[in-house]
Amino acid sequence: MRVILRTKPRKKPFIPIEAETIIPQNFLRKNDVRVYEGNKERRLEEIFYITTEGPAVSPDQVEIVLSGETGNIKRVGEYMNAGRIVVEGDIGMHCGNFMSAGEIVIKGNADAWLGREMRGGTIRCEGNAGHYCAAGYRGEKRGMRGGLVEVMGSAGDFTAEYLCGGEVRIHGDCGDLPGVEMRGGNLTIGGHCHRPCGNMTGGTCMVFGRVHDMLPTFRGAGNEEREYRGQRCQMMLYKGDAANRGKGSLLVKNIEQDGLSPKKK
Amino acid sequence: MSEFLIRNAYVIDPLSGIKGEIMDIAIRNGRIAEEVGSNAEVIDADHCLTLPGGIDSHSHVCGTKVNFGRYMSPEDMRAGRTARKGVMHVTSGYSVPTTFGNSYRYSVMGYTTVLEGAMAPLEARHTHEEFTATPHQDMLANTLFDGNWSIMEAVREKDMKRAAAVVAWTLSAVKGFAIKLTNPGGTEAWGWGEDVHSIQDQVPHFGVTPAEIIQTMIRANELLNLPHSVHLHCNALGVPGNYRTTLDTIDLVPDLNDKRQSLYLTHLQFHSYGGSTWKDISSKSEDIARAVNNKPAVAIDMGQIMFGRTTTMTADGPMEFKLYMLHHNKWSNHDVELETGSGIIPVYYSRKSLVNCVMWAIGIELALLVKDPWRCMLSTDNPNGAPFVKYPEIIALLMSRRFRENEIALLDPRTAHYVPLPAIDRELDWYDIAVMTRAGQAKALGITGIGKGYLAPGAEADIAIYPLKPESLDPSAEYQQVMAGFGKTRYTIKRGRVVARDGDVVVEGANSTIWTRSTVPPGYDLSVDPEFMKKFEQYYTIRMSNYPVQDVYLPRGICIPTEASL
Repeated sequence: MRVILRTKPRKKPFIPIEAETIIPQNFLRKNDVRVYEGNKERRLEEIFYITTEGPAVSPDQVEIVLSGETGNIKRVGEYMNAGRIVVEGDIGMHCGNFMSAGEIVIKGNADAWLGREMRGGTIRCEGNAGHYCAAGYRGEKRGMRGGLVEVMGSAGDFTAEYLCGGEVRIHGDCGDLPGVEMRGGNLTIGGHCHRPCGNMTGGTCMVFGRVHDMLPTFRGAGNEEREYRGQRCQMMLYKGDAANRGKGSLLVKNIEQDGLSPKKK
Repeated sequence: MSEFLIRNAYVIDPLSGIKGEIMDIAIRNGRIAEEVGSNAEVIDADHCLTLPGGIDSHSHVCGTKVNFGRYMSPEDMRAGRTARKGVMHVTSGYSVPTTFGNSYRYSVMGYTTVLEGAMAPLEARHTHEEFTATPHQDMLANTLFDGNWSIMEAVREKDMKRAAAVVAWTLSAVKGFAIKLTNPGGTEAWGWGEDVHSIQDQVPHFGVTPAEIIQTMIRANELLNLPHSVHLHCNALGVPGNYRTTLDTIDLVPDLNDKRQSLYLTHLQFHSYGGSTWKDISSKSEDIARAVNNKPAVAIDMGQIMFGRTTTMTADGPMEFKLYMLHHNKWSNHDVELETGSGIIPVYYSRKSLVNCVMWAIGIELALLVKDPWRCMLSTDNPNGAPFVKYPEIIALLMSRRFRENEIALLDPRTAHYVPLPAIDRELDWYDIAVMTRAGQAKALGITGIGKGYLAPGAEADIAIYPLKPESLDPSAEYQQVMAGFGKTRYTIKRGRVVARDGDVVVEGANSTIWTRSTVPPGYDLSVDPEFMKKFEQYYTIRMSNYPVQDVYLPRGICIPTEASL
């Protein structure tokens, strides 16, 4: 089954829509799906033109396509456990919170908290992601625990904070402090980043671009060769974060110390 | 003029000596009256259990550390969400809910008065603001004096009157209700990375011992004639073998007041451990209960733990650090300059953990072994032992031996070797429960004078009607009904107004905050004492004139004035 949701023009397009109900399992039967626009509860038809094609007997067979002005829709795919969501444009904050299975494909950019504390499944973002991509929420000690988040563009600050399982791949640059408080899992950064992996206790982070302001609490542990997009790269291996008696691995290609204040993009 | 008449109520009102009678209760203008006119609105209680409004004498529901518990635990905030409904706000949280969440859940259980167990004086404004947002309960704030430098200096100088003067000034400045000592001296020692391990250890840099602090404060409290006694969280909380410290503390207590206890020992479950390590922790509830039985000058509350997830929060900073070293999860540590500190960590009490099983048993044993229900309150030290929504389950455990046996069967099988609980037959009756959940508290807190905790004419019309019929219900066998009944009142009446019905709160509340002001002779008024002012300006980061909480923070304050005998 394919459900196409195209946004209707809204009087106040800047009011965010809270759409944690937009997950495949809710569309299996003709359920009354409601979302919030600001503090007003709305039926889905009030916000979207809805087209449904084909049948489905299980949530795995449901695909939801979101198109139009979707950059202000938040929490799409929260607690999703099967099926597929395709976003034709941008998506708002908290997309894929706590998702445990299924797939989300974003053709545009994602706002902050993409795949927060996700447990499993796959998120692919073809544009850029905002801050706290694949991170744990404030106050949470375990962030993403499983699955894959892949961002073709860049990501903001605090990418993969509290990562403790699964895999995060950012093919562009990351902002400040990616992989801080990491305790497991894999983080791969294709571009540049600032001050990665502070306080990490486990897991592996690889930076194939340049690391600005490497933290002083990592110990050198030789060189290793790693492959990224078909190219073999010679990487410097660091162990840390020594400030936290960490046993994580940080592999970097280039380091540049340019003062403590991170450059803003 | 609003009038109510509750008909056919099965009333238990221990303070008035009513032990289960069918009677009518008349209410006029928020107070219990002799009789009302014929136009009064009638509520038919239909022989249901009718008690004075519940009073929680030790709970952590408002204040900075509770708030920190909220924002350090997003998972807890997700755990108990309820949507907006009628006049009820959205609530969230399970062990540390939002203020409205606390207020609604207490109200639905029939509680109308709650004492916040620990308010840091310097942060009192925030506590009072949260009191205002807890609209269905009258609130009282125990004020922390455990690491107060002025107090410890007075103790060192053996100047009891000076200590009383500091208490009098601070309580009226921060609109507090009573003296709370949390691990006296220990929190100050924690500022130096240390702790005190017994009541005879010296507090670093002050040269005083916890025993001296406790004794001085008990006497200072009586000099001020405060309604409540000193409220003590003993030293060495949660340390195996700490029952000796607790027994030593009980030995210290003089009998100075004929109306109530001279020392209130809170969450005693956490202070009744035998053994020497976590591996051989055992219950010493029998020794503790014997000491309490032999000492009419102390009252205690249980501090029962219940299995499940909760958050521990206390002004006892070093203890929370020890817990953090066990769990290695989140931990918050907070120091309040010159006064106190705090620590917070989330915990999970598990039936698979022998230590937790022993702790669970100790709380119940204390309630069953202390013979006088007036001196053993029901509490979980919310949320340290469990959120207060577990009270009905605790009541059922106390009333039904069968329920206890069923629960014990689920525990770690080694538990029986370490605790006397399986051998205790006592089952509490409705009267005992009424004492342990409201009358005892009202007496121990000394708030009967303002009309709390009883239903005689003149009392505040705080009433809880539970859907339980004691005449036909056997709590020993039908404990499930007891649990359900105490969890949801048919009516909760607060100051003559129905505030909750069948699990829903039906009006916007308007609570009061109860505080005490002691009038001291001019020589003991610290607001004009040059030495005190000089030290205040020297050591505090704020000015003395900015310290007192303004009246605007207490929209409906009730002041209990006392005359100090200094």
